[in-house]
Amino acid sequence: MSLRRFPFWSWIWYLLGALYFILPLYATFTFSLEMKRGALSFLAYEKAFADKEFWHTFGYSNLVAFLTILVSALLSIPTAYWIRLRLPQARRIVEFITLMPFVVPAIILVFGLIRIYSSPLNVPFTDITVIPPLTNFKVGTTLLLVAGYTVLALPYMYRSVDTGMRTIDVATLTEAAQSLGADWRTIMFRVIFPNLRSALLSGALLTFAIVVGEVTIASFLGVPAFGPYLFLLGQHLAYQPAALSFTSFILTWIAMGLIQLVSGGQGQTVGAH
Amino acid sequence: MANTTISASSAAPSIWRKWVGVVPFFLFAILFLILPSLRLFIGSFTNNEGKFTFDNILQLFEQQSILSAYWLSIRISAVTAIGGGIFGFLLAYSVTVGGLPKPLRSMLITFSGVASNFAGVPLAFAFVATLGRTGIITAILKDVFGVEIYKTGFNLYSFLGLSLTYMYFQFPLMVLVMTPALDGLKREWREAAENLGASQFQYWRRVALPVLLPSILGSMILLFGNAFGAYATAYALTGGALPIVTIQIGAQIRGDVLHNPGLGYAMAMGMVVVMAISLAGYSWLQSKSERWLK
Amino acid sequence: MRTKKFAYNMFALFVIAATLLSACGPKAAAGQLNVIALPHDWCNYGGVIDAFKAKYPGITVNELNPDAGSGDEIEAIKANKDNKGPQAPDVIDVGFAFGDSSKTDKLIQPYKVPTWDSIPADAKDADGYWYGDYYGVLSFLVNTDVQPNVPQDWADLLKPEYAGQIAMSGDPRTSNQAIQTVFAAALANGGSLDNAQAGLDFFAKVNSAGNLVPLIANNGLVAKGETPIRITWDYNALAAIDSFAGNPAAQVVIPANGRFAGVYVQAISAYAPNLDNAKLWMDFLYSDEGQLLWMKGYCHPIREADMRARKVIPADLLAKLPDVSGAVFPTLAQLNGAKTLITGQWDSVVGADVKAAP
Repeated sequence: MSLRRFPFWSWIWYLLGALYFILPLYATFTFSLEMKRGALSFLAYEKAFADKEFWHTFGYSNLVAFLTILVSALLSIPTAYWIRLRLPQARRIVEFITLMPFVVPAIILVFGLIRIYSSPLNVPFTDITVIPPLTNFKVGTTLLLVAGYTVLALPYMYRSVDTGMRTIDVATLTEAAQSLGADWRTIMFRVIFPNLRSALLSGALLTFAIVVGEVTIASFLGVPAFGPYLFLLGQHLAYQPAALSFTSFILTWIAMGLIQLVSGGQGQTVGAH
Repeated sequence: MANTTISASSAAPSIWRKWVGVVPFFLFAILFLILPSLRLFIGSFTNNEGKFTFDNILQLFEQQSILSAYWLSIRISAVTAIGGGIFGFLLAYSVTVGGLPKPLRSMLITFSGVASNFAGVPLAFAFVATLGRTGIITAILKDVFGVEIYKTGFNLYSFLGLSLTYMYFQFPLMVLVMTPALDGLKREWREAAENLGASQFQYWRRVALPVLLPSILGSMILLFGNAFGAYATAYALTGGALPIVTIQIGAQIRGDVLHNPGLGYAMAMGMVVVMAISLAGYSWLQSKSERWLK
Repeated sequence: MRTKKFAYNMFALFVIAATLLSACGPKAAAGQLNVIALPHDWCNYGGVIDAFKAKYPGITVNELNPDAGSGDEIEAIKANKDNKGPQAPDVIDVGFAFGDSSKTDKLIQPYKVPTWDSIPADAKDADGYWYGDYYGVLSFLVNTDVQPNVPQDWADLLKPEYAGQIAMSGDPRTSNQAIQTVFAAALANGGSLDNAQAGLDFFAKVNSAGNLVPLIANNGLVAKGETPIRITWDYNALAAIDSFAGNPAAQVVIPANGRFAGVYVQAISAYAPNLDNAKLWMDFLYSDEGQLLWMKGYCHPIREADMRARKVIPADLLAKLPDVSGAVFPTLAQLNGAKTLITGQWDSVVGADVKAAP
C-alpha cells in the first residue's frame, strides 16, 4: 500500500543542513592551510602535532568521557524510570535540577567543588579521616572531574533518556516483564536499557562532546585534559588554532562513529514511512 | 497500576519506598551541584565588604542595563530555540520518517554529536571565516553574484549574526533529542491513517504531531536553556557589544578589573528564576499536550 | 547463585575502589610548583618555564588555566585556601590594580627577592607583598598584506580607509588590555592620566565612523584579514609577527602620541602549598637570567634600567625592542579612576549603535 515516493523534501532539508554545517568547517580548514605564504600546505598541522602531549591529553579526555557517560547514564535512567512509573510528583523538581547546570557558570562550579572537596572527609566530631582530600591525588581529582562533567552533561543525558522513555511506553513493558516473573534487575538491564539504545546513543554523544571540549573545569583542577592542552598550545598563534579546532572536530567525529558502532547501530528505526 | 505491586500496608514505609528510587539522583545533585553552587545564593546577598545586603537584588530591577540584558538573552534564546527547533526537527525528520538512506542518518547523528558542542572561539572564528567581511561566502557572493552583503546592511556582529552562529549547536541538539522520538512513530499508525483515508497533512496534524508534541516541547526548553547559558560564543563574536546576561555576569565575576561579584551572583540567581519560569510555562504546555496521549 | 556472584563482584569492586582511593596519598609537596595564567607566548613564559625546569629538574611545574584573567587568579587563591593539592596557585601574575587589593584581602604574602633594591620604587609594594615584573606599551599590530597604509598615531585611526578594520584585544568593560587601550587614546586626544573621558569620546568617533569592529581581536583574525589592525601590547604584537613568519606581512607601530605603559605584578599566595619553590621561582624571575628571558618575549623587564646601567643586556636583544620613549606610567589611583569611568560609560558613550537589532 505505501507508495515509495521519492523523499524530495527530506533531501532538501538534509542538503540545506549539510551546506550550513560544512561551510564554516570548510572555511576554517582552508584558512588553516594558508600558513605557508603563497601556497597551501599542512604546515600548521605539522607544527600542531609535533607534540606527543596531544595524544596523551586526548586519551585522558576520552577516558574521562567514557566514565562520565557511564555515571550519568546510571544516574539518569533509573531516575527517569522511577519518576515515570512511581513518582510523577517529583518530575518538576527533577527537571528543574537538570536544567540548573545551564545557569551555573562553570567557573563557579569548579571553585565550589574545590572548596568543598579540598578538605578531608572526617568522621563527625573526630579527627579520623575517612577519605583524604580528593584534590590531593590524581584518582581523586579525576573522580571530581567526572562528577563535575556529569553535572554539566545532566541536562542532555536526562532529556535524551526521558524522551526515549516516553517513546517506548515503559509502563506496559514493565508490566509485561513483571507478569513474566522478571525482577527489577532483569527489567532494568534486559528490557529497559536495550530499548533505550537510540536515546542513550544521543545522550552519550552529547556527553562525549562536552567532556572532550571542556576547558574551564579541567584547567582549574589541574588535570592533563585535551581542552586546556589546546589552549596552552597557542591561543596567540594565527594558524595553529584553526588547524587544531578542525582536527579535534574530525577526531571527535571519528570517536562518535566508533561509539555508534559499538552501541550496535542506530536503535530501532521503524523503516520507510 | 505499577503502584499496586508495592501494596503498602502502612503510610510511613510507603512514602519512604516511593522516594527511594530518586535518592541517588538527589544525593548526587546535592553533593556536586547544589552545595558547590551555594556560593551563588549566599553571594547574591553579600556586598564587596562581605556584609549582608539586598542591594544586589534591588539593582537587578532598578538598573536598566541589567533588565535589557535579560530581555536580550531571553530573546536570543527564544529565537534560537524556536528556529533551531523547527529546522532541527526537519533534519531529524528527514533521516527517520523521511526515509533517507541509513548512512546519511549515521553521518547526521555523529556529526550532530560533535557540532552540538562546537562553540566559543573556534565557532566564532569559523563563522567569521565564512560570513565575515573577508569570509568565503561574502567573497563568493561578491565575485559570482555581484552582491556585497555588508553594503546591504548585513553584519555578522549583530543579533542576527549571533543567532545564526548559535544555530550551529542548536540544530544538532534538536536532531539528537528528537531522533529517538521520531523513531517511535509507529508505522502502523501511518498505515492505519491512510487506510481510513487521511491525507498526509491530516495524519501529521491529528496523529503524529500530537504524539510528538511533548518531546518537541521538552527539546525546545533544552535548546532555550542551552542558548540562555551560552557565553563564550557571544563573547568571541561580539566582544560584549551584545550585552547578554552571561557576559554581564562574567564582567562582574571574572575579568581583569575589580567589580561587584555580589551583583554577578544576583544576576545568576535571576537566571535561575528565568529558567524556573520557563520550566513552569513548558510544564503547563506539556500537561496540555500529554492529555492526547493516553 | 547469580545474586551471590553479583554480590561478590560488587564487593570486590568496592575493595578495589577503596584501595585505590586510600593508596594514593598526597604527593610530596617539595617537588611541585603551581603556576596560573601563564600563556607560553606571553612575554616568552614558555621559555621562562622551560629554563626554570632545566635549572631545577626536581620540581614539577603544574600549569593551571593559561587563559585565566587576574580576577580568576584571585578567585583561585580564595577557593584553594584549604587545598594543598596541585590546584592551589603558589604564585600569581596579575594586573597592577590587583596587587594592592590582594594585599588588603590578605591573599598574598610578602617576600623580597635578592635583587629587590633594583626594582623601581613606584613599581613595588614597600612591604614586599607585590612587585612589578614587566611592562609593555600599547601599539598597533597591522596586517600589511591587507592594509599597506599603516596608521602611525591614534588620530590616524579615524581615517575612512580603515573602515571595519580596527579591533581591540578585549571587552573594555572587563579586560585590562582594552580598558588601558581607551585610557591610552585619552592621552593622545587631550585627556590626561587623571581624566580618561577623551578616550571614550575618541572611540565613540571611531565607532560611528564605522572603523571599529566589535570582535575580540586575536592573531588568527589579524592573519585572516578580518581585523587587520589590532590594538594590543607591543610584546604581544612583536611575538605575533615572529609567529607569522612573514605570512602575513605585518608591522608594529608604537603610536607617536599617547604612549601608555601597562605594568603587571607578581606575588606569592598567602596559602601557597609550595612556599619554598615559590620563592625559588621569584628569585629566578628577578635574576638577570629571568629578566632577559622576558626581554626575549619583547617585554620590558622591571629591572631594565638597572640592567642597562650594568650593561648586561646583549646588544641584539636591545636592538629588537621598539622605541618607547615618552611612555607614561599611571599610578594606582589614576588606573582605578580611569577603570571606573571607562567601564561605566563605555556602553552609553560608545556602544550605542552596535546593539542594533536585525
